[in-house]
Amino acid sequence: MGATVVVVFSVLTSVAILVLVSLGLAVIFGLMRIVNMAHGEFVMIGAFTVITLVQTLSFPVWLAILTAPLVSALIGVVVEMLLIRPLYGRRLVDTLLVTFGVSLILFQIAVNIFGTTSPGIATPLGALKIGTYSVSIYSSIFLPLAAIGLVGLLYLIFKRTRYGLLARATAQNAEMASALGVYSRRVNISTFALGCALAGLSGGLLAPIVAVSPSLGQNYVAQAFMTVVTGGPAFLVGTVVASALLGTIANIVSQVFTTLWGITALFLTAMVLIRFLPNGLSGSFRKQL
Amino acid sequence: MNSTTNSQDPLHAGLVASPSVESRHREAFFSRASRYGFVWPPILIIVAILIAPHLSTGVQLKWILWLSFAIVALSLDLVWGKAGIFSFGQNALFGIGAYAYAVAAINWFPVTFETGSALIVAAIVAAAFAGVLGYVMFYGRVGDVYLAIVTLAVTLVLYTVMQSTAGPEYRIGEAMLGGFNGMPSVPSIALGIPFSEDNSEMSTAALLVFAICLSGFLYIAVRSLVSSRFGRILAGLRENESRMELLGYDVRLYKLAAFVIAGAIAGLGGALFAAWGMFINPVIFSLSQAALVVIWVMVGGRGSLVGAFVGVMVVQWISDSANLVVEQQTPLILGVLLVVVVLVFPLGLTPTIGKLAHSVGLRLRRRSVNTSRSEAIAIDTLLPALSAAKERGARAKRSEGAGRLAAVDVKKQFGGLRVLEGVSLAFDGPGVHAVIGSNGAGKSTLFGVLTGRHKIKEGGVELNGCVVTDLPTFERARRGLGIKLQVPSLFQGLTVRENLALAAGFRASDSPSRHAAGRVIDTLGLANKAEALVSTLAHGEQQWLEICMVLLQNPSVILLDEPAAGMTQDERVQTVKLVRELGKDHTVVVVEHDMGFIRALEAPVAMLDRGKVFRIGSFSEISNDPEVISIYLGRRHGAKR
Repeated sequence: MGATVVVVFSVLTSVAILVLVSLGLAVIFGLMRIVNMAHGEFVMIGAFTVITLVQTLSFPVWLAILTAPLVSALIGVVVEMLLIRPLYGRRLVDTLLVTFGVSLILFQIAVNIFGTTSPGIATPLGALKIGTYSVSIYSSIFLPLAAIGLVGLLYLIFKRTRYGLLARATAQNAEMASALGVYSRRVNISTFALGCALAGLSGGLLAPIVAVSPSLGQNYVAQAFMTVVTGGPAFLVGTVVASALLGTIANIVSQVFTTLWGITALFLTAMVLIRFLPNGLSGSFRKQL
Repeated sequence: MNSTTNSQDPLHAGLVASPSVESRHREAFFSRASRYGFVWPPILIIVAILIAPHLSTGVQLKWILWLSFAIVALSLDLVWGKAGIFSFGQNALFGIGAYAYAVAAINWFPVTFETGSALIVAAIVAAAFAGVLGYVMFYGRVGDVYLAIVTLAVTLVLYTVMQSTAGPEYRIGEAMLGGFNGMPSVPSIALGIPFSEDNSEMSTAALLVFAICLSGFLYIAVRSLVSSRFGRILAGLRENESRMELLGYDVRLYKLAAFVIAGAIAGLGGALFAAWGMFINPVIFSLSQAALVVIWVMVGGRGSLVGAFVGVMVVQWISDSANLVVEQQTPLILGVLLVVVVLVFPLGLTPTIGKLAHSVGLRLRRRSVNTSRSEAIAIDTLLPALSAAKERGARAKRSEGAGRLAAVDVKKQFGGLRVLEGVSLAFDGPGVHAVIGSNGAGKSTLFGVLTGRHKIKEGGVELNGCVVTDLPTFERARRGLGIKLQVPSLFQGLTVRENLALAAGFRASDSPSRHAAGRVIDTLGLANKAEALVSTLAHGEQQWLEICMVLLQNPSVILLDEPAAGMTQDERVQTVKLVRELGKDHTVVVVEHDMGFIRALEAPVAMLDRGKVFRIGSFSEISNDPEVISIYLGRRHGAKR
């Protein structure tokens, strides 16, 4: 009994982490058709923000986590204005390559500032005893709740706010949207900042439970990419469904075998899905979010 | 291709100035040889081989490394520059080739005293990996951006996986994979007869000569490949994939073939890399490495094969020099380089320089050539072109002329929206058939079902007596379906002649199809534009060219989607004439909503409404039907209000 509960919690954590690290990528790709190759670095920036604030300025962890998305979004705005804006209307590959360049630059800057390793911070909230096992409340309960809350919040943003409507309209038909008077430049910068903020928030949430290093983003970005690709066009629902599927498979396989096989299983599942569902898991859904 | 066909071809006969057959032969041979890269590259290779032994060991090692990089850059140039497939995975294939070579060489060298077999293994393993990956991506029809993501994710997964292979249980024969520390003491290249003890590992100088020969050979091989029929097909894919499919090419197969070939090339580059360092570790799969390959090709110029070599030299030189100033900042330098190249030199260095040089020369040439008119071609000049295009049909495998296309109880829904609710229609024999309906009646969906763009689960499609319901578009095109979409869909970056050649099936031996293409060019009045890019043609010329391309496929059934859309009254009259002409010995199906156009066609009409066949009859029967009027006009009036 206790063991089953532990496994369930562990699966929940994996799925939650996958949702968290994929959302930012999914928002930017789903609404702007931009593959943000620097996504992993924005996650890393969020994590380092938390580490730095907690360790050197002794911020409370929760406040530091809330600051992380602001820092990422700020850097995202600068990147969008300087590098991505000149590329709207050019081939998709161009934005992909430029953000790839940004990814390398941000990575090296992080190495220069923080070195290749960094001491961790304590995980808040303590542990929960289940029989003879104990699980971390933060990663087993708080992270899944945070993921659910964040998805809900995004749903409300895109359904209920003026920005959400404009962003979806621009994604559907940018020309028509600007013909109706939508200032697409502002929509684009907001969406990009939102995506970067989500990446930063996920990094901030991960900071207490993983070893934070400049390569943090690279460790998660491949999984995030696979999740977004298998998720398909409905970027919110698709990301959640794909995370649930891939996260569960990866987690169970890595518990039975090793982490290595877990990653391999995630990847192979994604490949099979892509082969047979080229439009992604949400390809046949009627939902657009 | 050769001078005999040239002399029959009126166009080429005019262009070739030399009078004697013999000198023409010689000239043709030379120009052909240089097009396939048999002239300058061998000279360069020989010069390089002569210089190689006199360099210092440090320089020799650097050159070997650069050449191994240039090989993988060459492979990306093939898939990206030539076939238009953007892949981050060449680097992964390079690494797989390196690991495969290392494993094979460590196991076999102590036994066979040679590593030539390990080289072959490297190429085969990388090609096989590319085959599996490519099968999933191309047969799953992964879009281009997704393709970049998937290939990058593959690279990163390999990085993670290879890092975790540290334990002693991860071994293949004698070779320990070694996790992050990698595999040391990989034998260098040793060629010779297996099991002969005279073989030995190459010295640095010998390895450099080998590297020069290998890269030179691969360069020439790739260049011949892109100049061949296969290369033209790749160019077609790059320019307009859907048109290639409409012309009956199996797009997936050609992409897969290009990807596998490039995989083998990258694998060989990886083997050379492993032999160079006599060591291999997972860093080869890192993000920076993946970026490097793309940067080399970007800097050298996408699509320029020489650019692969230039790009490696320039980028590595910059990165080495910068490393002398600030140590260990490679990712930063590469990142900045990538950003600058994309923003400032999107074409890359080689083409930018080439373009500068070319624009001077081209301006002079254009003045003498471009004197033609640009107004739309009249129908009367088009008709002989059509018969020329049709002429090829006489010798084609299928029976000439009209065919039969039928939809049997077709149902289609998108999500929960039912668009077609059991449509049965048959189009038989020579003649024009029209399908009409107001907006939302399901016309476009039916068209998509007939072409194969939309898959259906219920109902069937029959073409010339065969059930083609589950066949992809290109298979239908091969079985005699000619498709003309509403918007001209041509290969904008290719010449008029190349466009027609792709439509004619592009068999080098098939000179009648080349002749048919040549006559189409002549009769269309495009003779002085045969070598012009299609993107420079007027809109009307593009429309006619596309119709000729459809006819060159020798279809028995021709599907036209709203042929009159966006046309002036005058053009519409011409188009009516053309469609009726086509209907004389083809089965032509016109999907249209313009009643005036349909009336002029005088064809039997099937009217769709709300996903069902509402009426079938002659135009006058339909247009006098009060129910039709109420649907058509009633809804229109409603819409206006």
